[in-house]
Amino acid sequence: MKKWKLGMIVAAAALSVVALAGCTAGKSSSGADDKNVTMWVHFSKEDPEGKAMVQNITAFNKENKKGYKATVQYIPRSGSGGGYEDKINAALNSNSLPDVLTLDGPNTAAYADSKIIQPLGKYITKKSDILPSIIDQGTYKGKLYAVGYSESGVGFYYNKKMFKDAGITEAELPTLDKPWTWDQFNAILKKLTEKYQGPAIDMQLSDHSEMAIYSLAPFVWSAGGNITNKAGTKAVGYFDSAATQSAFKEIQDMVKNGYTTISPKQKGFQTGKYAMLMSGSWTIQELDKQYKDISYGILPYPVSPKTKKLVSPTGSWQYAMSASTTKTAASGALIDFLSAKAQMYRTSMANTVLPARKSVSDEMMSKVTEPMRFLIKQNQESGHARPVLVKYPQVSRTFAETVTKATYYKENPDISALMKKQAQEIQQYLK
Amino acid sequence: MRSTLSARSKQAWLYVAPALLLLTLFLFVPAALSIYYSLTDYNMLAPQAKTFIGLGNYFKLFGDPIFWKSVKNVGQFVLFVMPLQVGTALGLALIVHKQRPGNTFFKISFFAPVVVSLVVTSVLWLYILNPEQGLLNGILAQFGIKAQPFLTSPTQAMFAIIGISAWQGAGYQMLIFLAGLQNIPSDVYEAATIDGANKWERFIHITLPMLKPTSVMILTTTFIDAFKLIIQPMVMTQGGPMDSTITPVYYIYRTGFTDRSLGYASAMTMVYGLAIIIFTICQRKITGGDNNA
Repeated sequence: MKKWKLGMIVAAAALSVVALAGCTAGKSSSGADDKNVTMWVHFSKEDPEGKAMVQNITAFNKENKKGYKATVQYIPRSGSGGGYEDKINAALNSNSLPDVLTLDGPNTAAYADSKIIQPLGKYITKKSDILPSIIDQGTYKGKLYAVGYSESGVGFYYNKKMFKDAGITEAELPTLDKPWTWDQFNAILKKLTEKYQGPAIDMQLSDHSEMAIYSLAPFVWSAGGNITNKAGTKAVGYFDSAATQSAFKEIQDMVKNGYTTISPKQKGFQTGKYAMLMSGSWTIQELDKQYKDISYGILPYPVSPKTKKLVSPTGSWQYAMSASTTKTAASGALIDFLSAKAQMYRTSMANTVLPARKSVSDEMMSKVTEPMRFLIKQNQESGHARPVLVKYPQVSRTFAETVTKATYYKENPDISALMKKQAQEIQQYLK
Repeated sequence: MRSTLSARSKQAWLYVAPALLLLTLFLFVPAALSIYYSLTDYNMLAPQAKTFIGLGNYFKLFGDPIFWKSVKNVGQFVLFVMPLQVGTALGLALIVHKQRPGNTFFKISFFAPVVVSLVVTSVLWLYILNPEQGLLNGILAQFGIKAQPFLTSPTQAMFAIIGISAWQGAGYQMLIFLAGLQNIPSDVYEAATIDGANKWERFIHITLPMLKPTSVMILTTTFIDAFKLIIQPMVMTQGGPMDSTITPVYYIYRTGFTDRSLGYASAMTMVYGLAIIIFTICQRKITGGDNNA
């Protein structure tokens, strides 16, 4: 009797171990039917993005002539980036990635270098219609590994009434054809700071995340500087160059002169406390829905007085094909379909994001608001992709740390010394 | 006789089997895997490509300035949060120990921060400590004190986190102290009062010695918890400004999950875990915990 009980307990224990192990093992992506492809996406089915995806997948399953069938698993990403990424990491361990997956732009190099994804250039049609920034973002070592399905951008929001009250006329404001230099930008900030007795602009300097490199690297690129060389092998000589230094000096001076602050008031622009805000396209929706009494416009990125070159940030999530899939034709067809004009248009309109194809932009222009039109134009004319580096998270963080250090101007008055030290720091993360 | 003993021991094994199984799955196996990973160049994105690199990660660790900075930061945290939190907890317990009107209100108020998630309280404190429009600077202004930078200052940020952590954690320990206070027999106090001891003498010679087992337990758990500090800096400062609030656990998390260097993060875990065990043993020896707890 006792032996029987013991046997039962051992069996139950063994079963639970097997069950737990089974949770992580998953199944291999290769199935009997080469026409059925699985795809993982990082958003919910209930989001506007998810709803557009449901429609796109229904269209693919109906319209493709080779009988391919796609099934999507919606794995929402949590605020800190968990959820979706956790699932990808677990799948890497158990070799159970889907055929097609989504990944954030800056992850391209790391995923390609670790052979998680495979080149897909030959499956994508009408490549010349895709924005160069999207191609750059998905390209690693000369091969296209991922296709961004939308774009993003940042502009300088301004409060029209506060500008008028400070005596700044419309004629003084920059346009995409005639952008403002850092000097002109500073002159307007000075006027606003004096008029309102406080910071003129929220540059989001309290955000130490990806926002730092994303929104402030254009200052570096406009000055003719860079974070690394083109091959991504050298930071010394690039991140500490005179041009890069001038961009960080400009950011430091903005804080030093009191034009901006490292600890901005929450929603300061939205509530009329700051006359300006540097932010992404997502703020348009927020202002239009929740802060209807603020009359605002968007101005372009300020440019270096030396080069006068307009540069703005870009980047988005992308579609890629897992390296482990054997269903390359079907997966390629799915990605090509989802990146085609009609599907991109549906996604961009549903999610109120910038388009990744020129033809989609043309179609969207008449259907979106003026601020959105401005960002689409700025994106097309001046969009610059972030560097494609294997150790991008480390480089991005070091960039953000450099911004923080530069803005603590009393502790780090010597920009040149700071940049030399930070360039060494980045150098250790390059191959 | 032998067979009876054997049957009894089998039964004992059966009783501990479920716990042992779970411990094996969730503690011993992960710990053993961490030791193994710490000797490899395990990159999260390429789990199959990891290679054995011996003690390479450990050598790298000893020359890593951020790791040592994080150790120094957590040392500062432990040094200040221990007396502040435990002292506050004891003070609060003494306040609510005596039966007086409104006692329940105070108990609930003191305990309330404990039941709220650390992330939520951290976000709330972010608003309170905002240098430009925060409540605290508003209050300070009423007293003619100029606005403080708090979390945006490399010198003040860690102290702000110490204060918030003590406030958050003291309520729970107050309850344990309260239970300890209620276990002290009243006749001891009565005898001391008859002998002429005043309030302070009764506190020093009766309350404190009789609370020793409780205190040792509280000191040990606070000590270990303090070394595990991660959520407050993660939410409020992301380890900044200029690494002034980065802690070893946060650095391990960042290295493992943001930088994807699981091998190096495992080596840090090993060194730091071992250090906490050694510190805890020393702390128990100093407080005499082994004799009383």
